Amino acid sequence: MGILTQYQPLELNEYIGNGQPWNLNRAHGGVQILPPYSRSKKSEWYKGTANAIYQNFSFIGRYQPEYVLILSGDHIYQMQYDDMLRAHEIAGADCTIAVRQVPLEEASRFGIVNARQTGEIYEFEEKPKQPKSNLASMGIYIFRWDILQKALEEDENRPNSSHDFGKDVLPQLLKEGKRLFAYQFHGYWKDVGTIESLWQANMDLLGPEPKFALVGEGHKQIFCRNEAWPCSFLGRGAEIDQSLVAEGCEIDGKVYHSVISTGCQVEAGAVIDHSVIMPNVTVKAGAKILYSIIAEDCVIHAEAEIGQMPVSEEFPFISVVGKEMEIGARVCIKAGEIVEREETP
Amino acid sequence: MKGMGIIFSNIYDKYLGELTDHRTVASLPFGGRYRQIDFILSNMRNSGISQVGIVTKYHYQSLMDHLGSGQDWDYTIQKDGLSLLPPFANSHDGVYRGKLEALHNALPFLTDAEAEYVILSDSVVQSAIDFRKVLQSHIASGAEVTVVAVPGRADGKRVLPFAVRCDADGTVTDVAIEYAAPKDFLCGTGMFIIGRQFLIKAIEQTVSRGQYHLEKDFIQRQYYQNGLKLHVYRFDQVALFNSSILEYYQNNLALLRPEIRKGLFQGESTIYTKIHNQVPAYYSKTAQITDCLVADGCYLEGSAEQSILFRGVRLGKYASVSRSVIMKGVTIEQGAVLDCVILDSDVTVRKHAILKGTPEHPVVVKKGETV
Repeated sequence: MGILTQYQPLELNEYIGNGQPWNLNRAHGGVQILPPYSRSKKSEWYKGTANAIYQNFSFIGRYQPEYVLILSGDHIYQMQYDDMLRAHEIAGADCTIAVRQVPLEEASRFGIVNARQTGEIYEFEEKPKQPKSNLASMGIYIFRWDILQKALEEDENRPNSSHDFGKDVLPQLLKEGKRLFAYQFHGYWKDVGTIESLWQANMDLLGPEPKFALVGEGHKQIFCRNEAWPCSFLGRGAEIDQSLVAEGCEIDGKVYHSVISTGCQVEAGAVIDHSVIMPNVTVKAGAKILYSIIAEDCVIHAEAEIGQMPVSEEFPFISVVGKEMEIGARVCIKAGEIVEREETP
Repeated sequence: MKGMGIIFSNIYDKYLGELTDHRTVASLPFGGRYRQIDFILSNMRNSGISQVGIVTKYHYQSLMDHLGSGQDWDYTIQKDGLSLLPPFANSHDGVYRGKLEALHNALPFLTDAEAEYVILSDSVVQSAIDFRKVLQSHIASGAEVTVVAVPGRADGKRVLPFAVRCDADGTVTDVAIEYAAPKDFLCGTGMFIIGRQFLIKAIEQTVSRGQYHLEKDFIQRQYYQNGLKLHVYRFDQVALFNSSILEYYQNNLALLRPEIRKGLFQGESTIYTKIHNQVPAYYSKTAQITDCLVADGCYLEGSAEQSILFRGVRLGKYASVSRSVIMKGVTIEQGAVLDCVILDSDVTVRKHAILKGTPEHPVVVKKGETV
């Protein structure tokens, strides 16, 4: 498994480590982080999704695979890839694209796949104005390695290409008459590439019938790197309702419909509602956090107010506090506002 | 670190009744997400001790399962890491009678080692002790044996397995075994530091004479008969003795006090345990949880107070739990009422069942039972 990353590889490197939490600490194979690197002649950033794979041909080539599975790291879902691979093999496809149904009115935001009854794709349209189907590509592909290799080599030499799978590579393969198949996925799936969607995906974990249940029937274990935290302590003032609270927290305030990560402190009289609190955040007495995302290692001082109840539940404005920020006592941060540190070069 | 560690996993099994029917004292769950051995093993790891032997006697399957390859404590099962020392088949009836005999079984482990000092410990006392300090103190004192002991436990009533009295400069003036020691005694924690060669000699001499009790046959006897140089390391921080069911119960609930949690978890050292990959605890709209410790994987719809909820506890609607220790994987169905109980792992409490103990006599329900 290779993880392609353009920016900020340090944090990811530390998190993935030798891959042991995911049982990927193998002598052969395992997991590797693949940032752009300098070659003898030139070094360049990944120009697009297809180019990122192209630049790592030597990594893939080492394993002489029959198939290559291409995934995105910012999607939240559970899927058995071997089912998809089986469908790929049975169809004898050159490339299989995982798709899911989206409401037709939203279809113009996605890469839309037009396929026959058999699943064979005859057209691929990136963000069509007038979509002909509601099957959206999930950005999950299985390729035959030889097909992928040839396609990306040719794409690399095409001067007008943006080197993107959806925009360039897949339409080109169709043009060449290759066998592309759609594999329909029915479970929960969310792209968390925006603040709103990241917030929404967290909210989807909550409630009596969560849209994305972490436990229950058909659920597979999700592995992660674990830190050694003691149990969470809930004080006498704690009131927790429809929320997930990870270990290592000390909670004496009120938490409604929120996700609290490891090692957080919520003091008495503090209120957290419809928010996502990342690890090691301290929320001091009387602070209020509504419809917000607070990144790791922040301190929210007494009686600060972050975010507001939205006017419309459907389009809430999410406030964000970037990591390692301190929000002073009684400071107000408006709905939809983002505060973060200036990046130091 | 010039020290190596040896942990006895079974010595006090008999004091913990049904809780140790199927497991060692070392693998008894404690504090919501730990097994007792996590504390001593983490302390050793945090003190830079690279080689640790774990002496086992019986029922050690749960312990082996818990330890796995040792990597969650940053150890590996190999010569210079973690070694399990089960009883050798060639000794008497296969199991040992005391620590010295157990160590006699493990002699090759001790003779092959290179460390200069050996730290001996049970897994009954939970603390966050820094063995680097104990070892420094041992070396500075020039003593042959250092015993780690705590004040405040000797009260003239409680019978202590091992107690010492010493004067102001730490010189030992009295060594007592199984004694209701008065208040001026310090209570031994079962942790000792001994020179490795000295320990090997002691094992050979005592076991060959049919003696097997470390504290009685070696330390006390040598102290009175041969002037053993005994030093006391006084440990003043949090040390929880889980040497009876009642103490085990009280000490679990003691973790609800901030000063106790601080003493165990918020120092420089980290307590490690086996990694489980469970989801965070979920609190429903009807959940009312106050003054509790809650581990990952719990699904809480009822109410709980002054209780310890281990991993994966399911608490149904209108169920209420107070002053209780609820171990891993327990299901408490709708409307059940529990007060002062210890539910061992995977117990099921049926709808509207009522179970009440008292703070002095908590009710214990055995592993896997349905009430």
